[in-house]
Amino acid sequence: MRFVLNKVGLLALTLWAAITLNFLLPRLMPGSPADAALAKLAQNGPVSPATKAAVEAQLGVPTGSMWEQYLSYLGSVARFDFGVSYTFFPQSVAGLVTAALPWTIILVGLVTIIAFIFGTLLGVLAAWKRGTWLDTLPTVGGTFASAFPYFWTALLLVFFLGYVGGWFPTSGAFSRSATPEFSLAFVGDALYHAILPATTILITSLGGWILGMRSTMINTLGEDYVTFAEANGLRPRTVALRYAARNAILPNLTSFGLALGAVVGGSLLVERVFAYPGVGYLLYTAVTNQDYPLMQALFLIITISVLLANFIVDILYGILDPRTRR
Amino acid sequence: MSLMSVRDLSVVYASKGAERVYAVKDVSFDLQPGEFVGLVGESGSGKSTLGFALTRLSKPPAMIGGGSILFDGVDIAEMDPKAVRVQRQGGFAMVLQSGMNALNPVRSIRNHFFDIFEAHGHVAKRDREARAQELAGKVELPGSVLDRFPGELSGGMRQRVSIALALSLEPRLMVFDEPTTALDVLVQHAVMDTIRELQKSMGFTAVLISHDLGIVLEVTERVMVMHEGQIVEDASSADILNAPQHEYTRMLLSHYGDPRAEVVEVPGLASRGSLRASVVEPVEPVEPVETIELAPTPAPTHAPARTREGRAAHQAIVVSGVSKLYPRPSRADQPVLAVDDVSFTLEPGASMALVGASGSGKSTIAKMITGIEHPTSGTITFGDLQIDKVKRRGLKSLHREVQMVFQDPYAALNPLHTVEYTLTRPVVNYSGLRGRDARRRVLELLETVGLTPVEQFAARLPHQLSGGQRQRVVIARALASDPQVIIADEPVSMLDVSLRAGLLALLEGLRETWGVSMLYITHDLLSARLVTDQIMVLNKGAVVESGNTASVLQNPQHDYTVRLLDAIPNPGRRTPGGSA
Repeated sequence: MRFVLNKVGLLALTLWAAITLNFLLPRLMPGSPADAALAKLAQNGPVSPATKAAVEAQLGVPTGSMWEQYLSYLGSVARFDFGVSYTFFPQSVAGLVTAALPWTIILVGLVTIIAFIFGTLLGVLAAWKRGTWLDTLPTVGGTFASAFPYFWTALLLVFFLGYVGGWFPTSGAFSRSATPEFSLAFVGDALYHAILPATTILITSLGGWILGMRSTMINTLGEDYVTFAEANGLRPRTVALRYAARNAILPNLTSFGLALGAVVGGSLLVERVFAYPGVGYLLYTAVTNQDYPLMQALFLIITISVLLANFIVDILYGILDPRTRR
Repeated sequence: MSLMSVRDLSVVYASKGAERVYAVKDVSFDLQPGEFVGLVGESGSGKSTLGFALTRLSKPPAMIGGGSILFDGVDIAEMDPKAVRVQRQGGFAMVLQSGMNALNPVRSIRNHFFDIFEAHGHVAKRDREARAQELAGKVELPGSVLDRFPGELSGGMRQRVSIALALSLEPRLMVFDEPTTALDVLVQHAVMDTIRELQKSMGFTAVLISHDLGIVLEVTERVMVMHEGQIVEDASSADILNAPQHEYTRMLLSHYGDPRAEVVEVPGLASRGSLRASVVEPVEPVEPVETIELAPTPAPTHAPARTREGRAAHQAIVVSGVSKLYPRPSRADQPVLAVDDVSFTLEPGASMALVGASGSGKSTIAKMITGIEHPTSGTITFGDLQIDKVKRRGLKSLHREVQMVFQDPYAALNPLHTVEYTLTRPVVNYSGLRGRDARRRVLELLETVGLTPVEQFAARLPHQLSGGQRQRVVIARALASDPQVIIADEPVSMLDVSLRAGLLALLEGLRETWGVSMLYITHDLLSARLVTDQIMVLNKGAVVESGNTASVLQNPQHDYTVRLLDAIPNPGRRTPGGSA
């Protein structure tokens, strides 16, 4: 219990630090969006005070002391108020982000977890049956599949299964005719649209999990406690799972944490290829259109998701490894 | 009828593309019910391979290459793995060498027991807790140990848990593979006592595999001596001790001695009374001397100081009132006082032993003298250099004069570098020699430590060297800066008995011919007696006894020194459990 409280405290502290950095960094940079806009205008001739005031009012120029700015910034973060997007004017940034976030978390997050579980199990099997076809097939297959860059796999799938075959939709998260709602029909439609992007992520990430688990598992199989468990006549399944795999998975949890943390920020290419309305796609739009409020909110969300992923992995470690609890 | 009958057993290591290597060759023997048999040999003799074969734990590339192992009349060499697994309950059990790692770090001790009960179903569900408690009691552990995880237990406790787990199978044959090797001397002794008592009270047949003939002769009734995959002698312990037949057995025995004796000698080294001398020939019997209290203590034999060109004159290391306090490991614990007000002077050319069980602070003192750690209070000086305050720049001049030889020759050399590269680095750093001169110096160093032909050894990589050869390279590396002081931290404890004397003689020779002074850190009082003049006995960071090595060991004043002395395996001293 104390361990969890410790970790929660640590999470709160790092969250605060991340939010504060997000506040400080733009202010440490010289200039502001308003300055940039004014400089552009100034190339065409003198800028009248009225224009200047209008631009500053539109883009927002900080007023008050740093401390006051900081407090009001903390307030808006707490209210989830990140202003208005430039690109999708007049939609609020918060609205855009909350609309995109579930798609990414469900698609990429779920697939990452499935890939981790499935890949780890295959890795355990490969190491336990080392040298047999159960080892060779997933190892070679996984290496082969993960050797493709994933946008390339994505393009292949779109081209053959979507465009040529016509079995799967090539873009979007749901049909144009459908409206987002909690009905069987809509969920089915969303799942149907998710198959290609999900398969892409699965194919490209599975190999890494298989290989990682296989090699740590082979190491633990050489440990004395595995030999001793065999000497005590434990069932092979017990030895493989409770003794070898249970320890072999520990180092892989760290990579799992990194992968989970990258769910929100790292899905850009897949979402781009499939025109999937997730955070990655939104970030891409924000960056290409220099949409500062949107970018800032997305960066904050990405940071927070990395911290949360690390927190989850820390707690998992606490559950799985008694040595970290002390 | 014998419980186990082994006939013409061979174990081969068959890796793909490599030649088949016979680790065990045509071994035959019988084990009678209730017998306690020792299996002794040096590293590479095949004793552990044989132990694994007897309990059907051989893993590829090792495999049984021929012969039979009749256990209770059934050949288990040919038995199907599933049948072997079932057979383990009430059959044969094994306690592994490094008890440290024999337990699953993420499972509680209770679950370890329950896993075994579940696998064999020989203990009813409602009796399991009671049975686990009972087994813990048998190995002298409290029942509360069941709630703990392996990481929370000391090495000795973990090895006791392993023994209890093996016992939970109710085996008729127990194979102990170096059960106490990784443990601290005093703990080692206690665990061995437990094993012996259990064997007597429960009556199982036991095989004790060990590199240490001393331990084996102390506890077993019969000893099999193994050498190069074969059993070269198989006789009662008394016969092995008093009338060894095979020359290999005699060689092993010759390396034992009682550090309390008036004359202590092993091949190549001898120490008599308070004087020591390196000898090539065994020393002749010494004339009887009056009791040690009356004998005047001669001044330590200091080697003549050799002058080093362009370098400071010989200086003593003066340690005065040094303490080291480590911050508490976690909030619940107390800070650790690793070294408690220790003072001594290591004179130029002198050799001093620092002895104690693990945790006595002896390695911490070595770290402070080499400037790796700074003392919490007190001062350490070397000439005008204040070691306790030394910073980066001072460290280099310190390490030119004070060098360290480490315990584990397998970990002390970078496996990717040749011997020549390993030695060239310090030569270039400290002597400023370059190119051909540096190479000449490297070869000279190899010659000094007896690794000839030098050209061949220079080109080798660490894995192509034996443990003893590696340790010689480590010593050569320490000598590269032509130091005045060598700190040797358990330099021979990882090596085979027959190699130890050679290395000790090398260190001793260096001291005499090069005038290097030596701080010899060890838990092994016999070797301390052989190569040092002065001794300091440390317990929990404090010096409990110090003085002339021979007088302290022959006439120990402190209880702790006596306990250390008693813990030394001594083939000549049979305990009441033995049959001699």
